Amino acid sequence: MARPNWWGSSMPPSQDPMFAGLGQAMKVGTDLLAALIVGGGLGWAVDTYVLSSKPWGLVVGLILGLVAGIRNAYRAAQHWDKS
Amino acid sequence: MEDPLHPFELHTYIPLSLLGLDISINKAVLMMLLVVGAIILFLTKARSSGSLVPTKLQSVAEIMVEFIRGIIHDTMGPEGMRFFSLVTSLFLFILFSNLLGLIPGSYTITSQLVVTGVFAVAMYTLSILLGLKIHGPKFIKAMLIPSGTPPFIVPLMIIIEIISQLARPISLAVRLFANMTAGHVIIGVLVGLTMSGGLLIGWLPFSFTIALYGLEVGIAFIQAYIFTILACVYMGDAYHLH
Repeated sequence: MARPNWWGSSMPPSQDPMFAGLGQAMKVGTDLLAALIVGGGLGWAVDTYVLSSKPWGLVVGLILGLVAGIRNAYRAAQHWDKS
Repeated sequence: MEDPLHPFELHTYIPLSLLGLDISINKAVLMMLLVVGAIILFLTKARSSGSLVPTKLQSVAEIMVEFIRGIIHDTMGPEGMRFFSLVTSLFLFILFSNLLGLIPGSYTITSQLVVTGVFAVAMYTLSILLGLKIHGPKFIKAMLIPSGTPPFIVPLMIIIEIISQLARPISLAVRLFANMTAGHVIIGVLVGLTMSGGLLIGWLPFSFTIALYGLEVGIAFIQAYIFTILACVYMGDAYHLH
């Protein structure tokens, strides 16, 4: 059939390497960002509403968010090896 | 030049209110109804022939069913098939909103953070409730303290795990929203350039518009797929404690 065949089939199976690879890349990128947002947000909230310890809550929160994000990415990468 | 963010504004068509809540019919609501209508039309059309040798539409629907069955088996295992209808609805709704939103003049529902946020929070909450129902309080412990953690870093790990758990619905919502919004803004900017460029130079941004349009069709499929598979992965985590 003459039609553009971007992923090898019109609706790709979940095992399609190209499709799954794109999905994994998208996942890791936003996971890093989201963990950073959550960490920074929690730190900021502690600063403003709980301890009034500006700016240390934000600093520690961002660092913890970064750690959590990298941990998420690492964990996701571990799953790729199995499949 | 026209404001590229203009298409994302919501205009009320029929103002309605119920008990002080604003339930007006606006562009997004109308588009949601259209999306649901299109899905129902697609599925009934695909089903109508019911012959052993499938029609074109029927085989598309069958491939889709196999595709979603594959996702569920990969992430949750066979016991996850009780969520088949939920996962299919989620996938089809997001896919059809993304695709119908690409029609010029229509509206992309998934470019509203409220819509993607509600889906993400709902699926995440479902996965937590599912884990609590299957494993009880042990689920929270397994979620916050990964196995094999040395005792002296347990407090730190709990904080980091809470952050990474809270990041799940946010990344799910922001990914879909940002991808759809960004794609439409870029196309909008390029169309604006075409308009102001005129015939002399306008063909250049216009050809980019066409290429990006193809990319956006791909993004529409990929984002629907990622949203669905990650929702399934989170529910799979509830089934299988690691």
